[in-house]
Amino acid sequence: MIQLFNVTKSYGKENVALREMTVHIEKGEFTYVTGPSGAGKTTFLSMLYGASKPTRGQILVNGTNITRMASGQIPYLRRKIGVVFQDFKLLGSRTVYENVAFALEAQGKKRYEVSKKVYKALKEVGLEHRLQRKPMELSGGEQQRIAIARALVVEPLILLADEPSGNLDQEVTLEIMELFKRANARGTTVLLATHDHSLYKRFPKRVLGLEGGRLVMDHKP
Amino acid sequence: MLENIRYFIRRALRNMRQWPVLCTAAILTMAVALATMATFLLVVMNVQGLANSWSEEVQVVAYFKAPPTRNQLSSLIHQVEVLPDVQKAIYISKAEAFKRFGTRLGDDAGLLEGVSRDLLPASLEIKLKAGSHNREGVARIVAELNKDSRFDDLRFGQEWLERFENFVDLLRFVGLVLGSFFLLAALFIVSNTIKLTLYTRRDELEIMALVGATKRFIQIPFLLEGALQGFAGGLLSLGFLVISFKLFLQKSLQSFWLTPVGFEPVFLNGNQQLILVLCGVLLGLLGSLVSLRKFVRL
Repeated sequence: MIQLFNVTKSYGKENVALREMTVHIEKGEFTYVTGPSGAGKTTFLSMLYGASKPTRGQILVNGTNITRMASGQIPYLRRKIGVVFQDFKLLGSRTVYENVAFALEAQGKKRYEVSKKVYKALKEVGLEHRLQRKPMELSGGEQQRIAIARALVVEPLILLADEPSGNLDQEVTLEIMELFKRANARGTTVLLATHDHSLYKRFPKRVLGLEGGRLVMDHKP
Repeated sequence: MLENIRYFIRRALRNMRQWPVLCTAAILTMAVALATMATFLLVVMNVQGLANSWSEEVQVVAYFKAPPTRNQLSSLIHQVEVLPDVQKAIYISKAEAFKRFGTRLGDDAGLLEGVSRDLLPASLEIKLKAGSHNREGVARIVAELNKDSRFDDLRFGQEWLERFENFVDLLRFVGLVLGSFFLLAALFIVSNTIKLTLYTRRDELEIMALVGATKRFIQIPFLLEGALQGFAGGLLSLGFLVISFKLFLQKSLQSFWLTPVGFEPVFLNGNQQLILVLCGVLLGLLGSLVSLRKFVRL
């Protein structure tokens, strides 16, 4: 599903975020990307959804080489990928329903289809009773669940999560992990960037360890 | 397609409702910019109208060496009136000229007592057609009249005409420079206001790009919003213009010391009013387009 060949990403001459990274992730795999701050986790994920391009090397996503993808094609790549961030990236002025519907509307889906899918996605994350609330009226955990519903509502092939539990307590983190596991069980390839060791000890899956931009560990349980 | 159009309109309207302060600021900025330009245009239009009414005073006076006989006169008048720039030729006899002079002297008319009534020469006053009240029109008539040896002297206010035409040229030039300046200032202010409104909503733009919206899909509602705001700004500026014309401009133009009696200040006609509102739409569209290019990056 995801293949990287000798990928290097540098910002200027001095600042190298990722060095010569080669890795293959199969369809339906659940993979942690770990490492300390500045290890290159966010850079790695951002290249997969076309937010940045590698300086050298090639990246294939679902069989398509995205390395030199034209900017007009990037939206179509992103429609296959759901992304969840530590800071949720929700629209404070929109309701819970509108935030999730946004992802489908952006893809030009029909209105009746949107409402059906949004309700289903919000039910999946347990927020179907909060449709008309604004994100700021909800807890951090609930906000992250809205973000996950927005990522999953488009039925993505790949789910990328960048420190999704960074701002949440242990109990909420477990709830969130449960959502990721369920998505993965339905066939979605999940990549979860975290520096929380306890997470992959509790839910053992493949772990890619990054340090100083290098892939220093590739551990499969 | 229809679904998309409906969605874009819905989103543009919803955005305007969700950001009332920003929306009002953009509309007011455009209204002020358009009203400033339109007021200026109105003043230029009316001053040019005034200048045209002054230019109607331009005429050629041809003095006879010796007064023509009645027979000669009618053929001469006909000869002059067929010239393309001439509207009408009026004969002023020696007696008529003397009478006019006396009238012009007013209380000092007594000075003419004992003076021969033959003192002043007979003349032909030649009124010009509309569009010929300029140096070229006058020059063509003068060239024709110079060929006729019966005329002694031709007067056509050459110096005044030159000064007047220079004044009108200056008026046009100043109008063009100030108009361009106002237009640029309006574009600058409007695009910056829209940039500010987009900056406030950059999260929305970022998230849209993140969930796979195409550039066009992101931009269209914003462009539509800009156009709608421009339309509202255009209407508002037109309303402002009507009120300021009725309350101030009309009166001040009529009371201008050089304004001839009976001069009616003009307002923008239907087409010009439509153009003003369309300018608002265009301003909103352009302002949004310029700003969006900065913010929408995939």
